[in-house]
Amino acid sequence: MSRPRTKSIVEFCRFARANGVSAGTKETIDCLQVAEAIADADRDTFRFALRAILTSSADEWVLFDDLFTAFWANPDPTSESLSKNPARRRLAPPSLRHESGSRMVTAFGNGSEPEGEGEQKRFSGASAVERLRKVDFSQMPQTDLAELERIALRLLRRMSYRVARRLRARKRRGSIDLRRTIRRSICRGGEFLDLCYKGPKKERAKVVILLDVSDSMNPYSFFLLKLAYVLGKYSREVKSFIFSTILVEVSNLLRTPRMSDALRTLAQMTAGWSGGTRIGESLRDFNAHHAAALLSRHTVVIVLSDGWDTGAPEELAAELKKIRRRVAKVIWLNPLLGLEEYRPVTRGISAALPFIDVFAPAHNLQSLLALEEHLRPGR
Amino acid sequence: MARQFRDIEDVIERLGRLGYVADRALATAIYLLLNLGKPLLIEGPAGVGKTEAAKALAAMLETELIRLQCYEGLDLNSAVYEWNYQKQLLAIKIQEGSDKTVEEKENYVFGSNFLLKRPLLQSILSEERAPVLLVDEIDRADEAFEAFLLELLAEFQITIPELGTIQAKRVPHVILTSNSSRELSDALKRRCLYHWIDYPDLAKELEIVRVRLPEIDGDLSSEVVRFVHTIRDLNLSKPPGVSETIDLSRSLILLEKTKLDQEAAEETLGCILKSADDLTKVRSEGLSRLLSRSGGS
Repeated sequence: MSRPRTKSIVEFCRFARANGVSAGTKETIDCLQVAEAIADADRDTFRFALRAILTSSADEWVLFDDLFTAFWANPDPTSESLSKNPARRRLAPPSLRHESGSRMVTAFGNGSEPEGEGEQKRFSGASAVERLRKVDFSQMPQTDLAELERIALRLLRRMSYRVARRLRARKRRGSIDLRRTIRRSICRGGEFLDLCYKGPKKERAKVVILLDVSDSMNPYSFFLLKLAYVLGKYSREVKSFIFSTILVEVSNLLRTPRMSDALRTLAQMTAGWSGGTRIGESLRDFNAHHAAALLSRHTVVIVLSDGWDTGAPEELAAELKKIRRRVAKVIWLNPLLGLEEYRPVTRGISAALPFIDVFAPAHNLQSLLALEEHLRPGR
Repeated sequence: MARQFRDIEDVIERLGRLGYVADRALATAIYLLLNLGKPLLIEGPAGVGKTEAAKALAAMLETELIRLQCYEGLDLNSAVYEWNYQKQLLAIKIQEGSDKTVEEKENYVFGSNFLLKRPLLQSILSEERAPVLLVDEIDRADEAFEAFLLELLAEFQITIPELGTIQAKRVPHVILTSNSSRELSDALKRRCLYHWIDYPDLAKELEIVRVRLPEIDGDLSSEVVRFVHTIRDLNLSKPPGVSETIDLSRSLILLEKTKLDQEAAEETLGCILKSADDLTKVRSEGLSRLLSRSGGS
């Protein structure tokens, strides 16, 4: 094959990759190999062949034709000329689009100030627990966290197990596992004294928590972060992320033995973040770097955010749709839902609604308790 | 395989002779499957001929089609192999009085007579020709199975503890289908060629109906295809696929209808609509209106 052609195919593969087609070097090599084999084929056949090799989903399939046209329409496809091409849609790195904000995140600062203490001190006894559950987090004194921890644990137990359809070896009940029974009989001289059974295997559900810590979530993020902390402390299957304009994984940090240490580190880490929210971009970041490893059909994704998004609502919807397709359930907890006058009409939320299974409030302990319902084992 | 199929035209023509109307894109994908030796993942809505593609490929290569239907809870025992335990137990009892050594007995009981070969094992055991392995609706199996499949597709070997490792003599041609009810793992997708089959356009669907049912009346077939296309545009929960179009045509032939009028459409509506909601929706649109709309276009 001629050198220029090889070069342009390689260039094209890189171009496609940069624009969201998930093909690796192996695919590039395949393309070259095929281009040689069908050297005298027409342009369409060439396009079909590259498409079959490079794409791997319906979205990429649609995207590919545009990329192909954009790339080969250009007589001299070098990367410089391409960057002026309107078809180069997603090439700008996300970091360039951030205008760095100057406001400081104070989300974690709340913990040290016992706000609204006067109002809540009057509660006592059983009814106090009841009342406590109805207190908005934004007015809750921070000493009443035991209840939160208790509820978090209860939720965790609820979602810990789902019953899988696959059968696995088991001591009692279920059908006889002949393979194991025969194995076991060997030490008894071939007599079947011990029967082995198999029954449904229990699998732990995985949980991914995406917590919005932007300014608008300020009154709530501290408590929700504690929820994430408690969930993470008791289960390795819980992964937590925080985001406002960028996304940061905090799973390991939240496993620090002492909660106060964890929160202090977090506060330092997030200092200097801008206070705005870019949910769509944060989710895109999540999809790009964490989705493949963390999401599966047994995963429950919990987004904790009020949905005030300064990014494009289409992006939020598109990224959430991608997540939804991979997981068992998307739960969006919105503290604002607790306000009676609130309607989910912010553009971000209304774009996202079709891809949310459970849209629930999370402004007080009672609302968290109600979540139990949605975390039942099963699909 | 490269020796058999020099070019893509050849693939289209041979598939056509077998009654499978393949467009150039699919033929290219199949050509690549044969030449690169990579599995082909076909996605698309239900009933557009994903499974048929594998059957046609097997027929074209004059080889065996081995099909593994995936479902939730599919495990290695039903996908790869299983020992026939009952038969083994009987064999042990029968041999009790014989003077064979323990090793002989063991070798006998764990011989291939007692091995139940499931599709994946079968696919690598072929001696003569490479078979076509169809892994149907892979999106229904769980991730654990997907991971196993990935390993098989890389090595084409299966290890059975009692027998040892079996390496494929003829590497099978693998086609995977998915209704994209869930996202497949990136690793699996990366390993495969990809093809998306959508609902065919009028002309292609007409061609498919005529190829599959040569006895059909020319006018009737175009009426049927237009009608189905109109219904497909209604945004139903289960839009009819090509197989439904063929079912409808076949039913009309069987009922000796020569025209798709309102009466005939009413009688055969069950061929193309498979849910109560969709039926209600189509009825509320008015069959006669739909028929005239499809006739007028």
